[in-house]
Amino acid sequence: MPLINGQRPGTIYLVSSPNDPRSTVPDRLASAGGLSEGVARVLSRDTGLHEADIYGVGSFYHLLARPEARVRVCGGLSCQLAGSREVLSACKAAGLPTEEISCLAACDRAPAVLRDRRTLPSVTVEDATRSAGKVEDLCSTDSETAWLGTIGPETQSMGTHALNLLGEPDWSAEAFKAANKMGPAALFDLLEESGLQGRGGAGFPAHIKWRAVAGQAVQKRYIVLNADEGEPGTFKDREVLMRRPDLVLEGLAIAAAATGASEVYLYLRGEFEVPSGVIAQAIAKLEETNRYPDITFHMHAGQGAYICGEETALLEALEGKRGMPRLKPPFPVEVGLWGKPTLVHNVETIAYIPGIVLKGGAWFKNLGRTEPGTKLYCISGHVQNPGTYELPLGISLDELVETAGGYVGTLKAFSPGGASSGFLPASERGRALDFKGLGSLGSMLGSAGVVVLNDTVNMRWAAEEQLRFFEEESCGQCAPCRIGTHYLHAAVKGQEKSLGLAHVGDVAWQMNEGSICGLGQAAALPLTSALKYFPEDFS
Amino acid sequence: MSPTTQTLLVDGHVVELRPGDTILNAANRADVSIPTLCHDPRLKPVGACRTCLIEVEGARRLLPACATPATEGMKVNTESERVDRHRKTLLALYLTDHDGTQEHGQGGAPNQLASMAREVGAPTDWGQLPSKRRGSIKDDNPYILFDPDQCIACARCTRYCDEVESVTAITLAGRGSETTISTADGISLLDSTCEMCGGCIDTCPTGAMTERKAAEVQAPPESDLTKVRSTCNFCGVGCQLDLNVDPAANDGRGLVVKVTSPPVGTTSNDGNLCVKGRFAYEFINHEDRLTTPLIRDADGVLQPASWEAALAATSQGLAGVMERHGKNALAFISSSRCTVEENYLVQKLARQGYGTNNVHQCSAT
Repeated sequence: MPLINGQRPGTIYLVSSPNDPRSTVPDRLASAGGLSEGVARVLSRDTGLHEADIYGVGSFYHLLARPEARVRVCGGLSCQLAGSREVLSACKAAGLPTEEISCLAACDRAPAVLRDRRTLPSVTVEDATRSAGKVEDLCSTDSETAWLGTIGPETQSMGTHALNLLGEPDWSAEAFKAANKMGPAALFDLLEESGLQGRGGAGFPAHIKWRAVAGQAVQKRYIVLNADEGEPGTFKDREVLMRRPDLVLEGLAIAAAATGASEVYLYLRGEFEVPSGVIAQAIAKLEETNRYPDITFHMHAGQGAYICGEETALLEALEGKRGMPRLKPPFPVEVGLWGKPTLVHNVETIAYIPGIVLKGGAWFKNLGRTEPGTKLYCISGHVQNPGTYELPLGISLDELVETAGGYVGTLKAFSPGGASSGFLPASERGRALDFKGLGSLGSMLGSAGVVVLNDTVNMRWAAEEQLRFFEEESCGQCAPCRIGTHYLHAAVKGQEKSLGLAHVGDVAWQMNEGSICGLGQAAALPLTSALKYFPEDFS
Repeated sequence: MSPTTQTLLVDGHVVELRPGDTILNAANRADVSIPTLCHDPRLKPVGACRTCLIEVEGARRLLPACATPATEGMKVNTESERVDRHRKTLLALYLTDHDGTQEHGQGGAPNQLASMAREVGAPTDWGQLPSKRRGSIKDDNPYILFDPDQCIACARCTRYCDEVESVTAITLAGRGSETTISTADGISLLDSTCEMCGGCIDTCPTGAMTERKAAEVQAPPESDLTKVRSTCNFCGVGCQLDLNVDPAANDGRGLVVKVTSPPVGTTSNDGNLCVKGRFAYEFINHEDRLTTPLIRDADGVLQPASWEAALAATSQGLAGVMERHGKNALAFISSSRCTVEENYLVQKLARQGYGTNNVHQCSAT
């Protein structure tokens, strides 16, 4: 825990409780069909909360704020490269109530479209035209099987692949039993030995968080699964949830038992209707067989906000508020959900736990190349077979793309870890894709959402699209991010004559220093890196 | 300072630590000025405006002074090159989203953003963004005006409405660069839970929330007005308020153009007022207002008189009634607009001066 001069920072947050009707507000708004006029007042009567409060929450989340839109076309980079703007126009032309939406975590099946809460992969202009304006008739390839993407490499085994997404789910709870037998102290040592780093983006050592939660004086603790997968270019958690719900739930159960928590909250982004169904079924199955008798799983659907992937914003959303990140410190391990110590983990991180318990820390560590473990790399854009590839942590872009069938066209640039990681030039194609190495380049591995761009792409355009995303997804709480993303987007777009690119460096510096959370701190990177590596695209 | 006293260092000054201290509080005691926009001591700190970020030794990131607890041995630096660059670039960024050339908004409200930007020497040449904030509050109430262009979304107004007044008529609405202040569905404040206390105006640092009446009369900047401290006479609580007089108006006789509350922490009402105290001041200059005592003449017509004559006439009249009908023929009724002290004096006058217990106050029924 980062302490200030050895002192534990005080807590200043408003703490509600699980029984507070506030936590039901997003769900109630969703059930009411979104924030139509008068809904806030009705819900205010039902809950006793102020109508302005309810309106403030509803207006924050894009799935609630504009209920009239029922078709939302992904505007992510990979989807745009696959022609999403044409699909968007076709949907509008067909008379569908359509708007653009931020990344739908289906970059491997681009272009993706959200129809109500169902993500439809690989939608074509013909699909849109064929709908003839009837929302229900849009697209036909949305069966649950079609929802699954490409997984690689083709041959996987539990020995060499820590997740083994192609393996059969295992409901025996063997790892859970083994972990309980081992006891928390030995388990934490095992995690430390494994070197497991958080796979959500920060790469923070998992064992430190587990120990911190277990060591809190407050007895009530929570486990939270961060399945708000929204970093553009990232879709690995979707595959894990769909293919290995057993690993996710067992990992959560092990974490709960080891840290003294009995309640687990699963926060899945609202667009994950299909994975949500898979997880709900798995939970029902586990409850039937009473596999984890002392643990309760609560499922929660997000309502559309990229920022809720930031862990403290996610906690705010779970508490039913506007998803605005909290000031840190204190960190969630101390003051988390409803003010209690909380262990928040990304889907991929938690899914590694059963394997590590069964096969050992050293085994996991040795699966990696430059850093411990295997890693799910998502790859999309200009490659032959976009998909999710489990490979040793630290492979290079060239190796990754080779596994994914090779490049389409000539490599120009790539984004190694989602929009937040900025762009790297082709000259970095041989560099290890890991946390430390990319960090030293001023980029990051992040969520390992790798987007490949070939020489048909203008990098000013690419930077503009990423900045558009960040401006739309900034929560608006702190000025550096709220104004900075707006400024940079407007500047790179070139519409505001007074702006220009002369002050981009200072704005980026300010956003990095001044922003409350990682979104604002990283949001300038797509533009600053594009300017650095591809100045010719700006002349 | 006893040897057991805990201290911290702020820009080299040793500051004694007090329970619950934030860095901002401790720095204020050491007369180290840290700029703030979203801070109001009545509200829980949110650290959203980012103007108060300072350096703390051992912390990787700059920390918000308003929300970071001060701790024993902490070394705070508010004057480093990094903090200076932070302030300049942050305020330069603010200026691209707001008009920072005017240090006063509509109705003369001070715009702290503009004055702060000038004080720290923020660059003003970064260009101008088209504001995406919308004022969705329907504009039909007589008192409160919202100008989204001036709003920095610091949420002082919404937090005040929620945390101090427990009214929650307004909220932060929307997201990102569109974040604004709104009622539910953008309804009129008159149709909301708003009590028109005007606390949102009082706490707003930029003049985005302002007095409609002051804006309508185009009140000059507050610095050009004469502030007359007074006690609100609408009830017995005794809230202190400042009548803001435009000395030049009303043909040089002066005109109250707005009422503001004294600074937070200086009077018992702590910067708070209600709708009457803040907005019901036009009677002061109303033509029907009595400004001198009146006595009926022999023909029954009211004639202006001096206070001495009026008090003498009253005293005579009361004495006459008592003489003719006895002391219990008299009754004294005072107003709830009188202060507690004045009410005390009225009952003393009745009981001791005239020997009757027939005394009442209008709000006692």
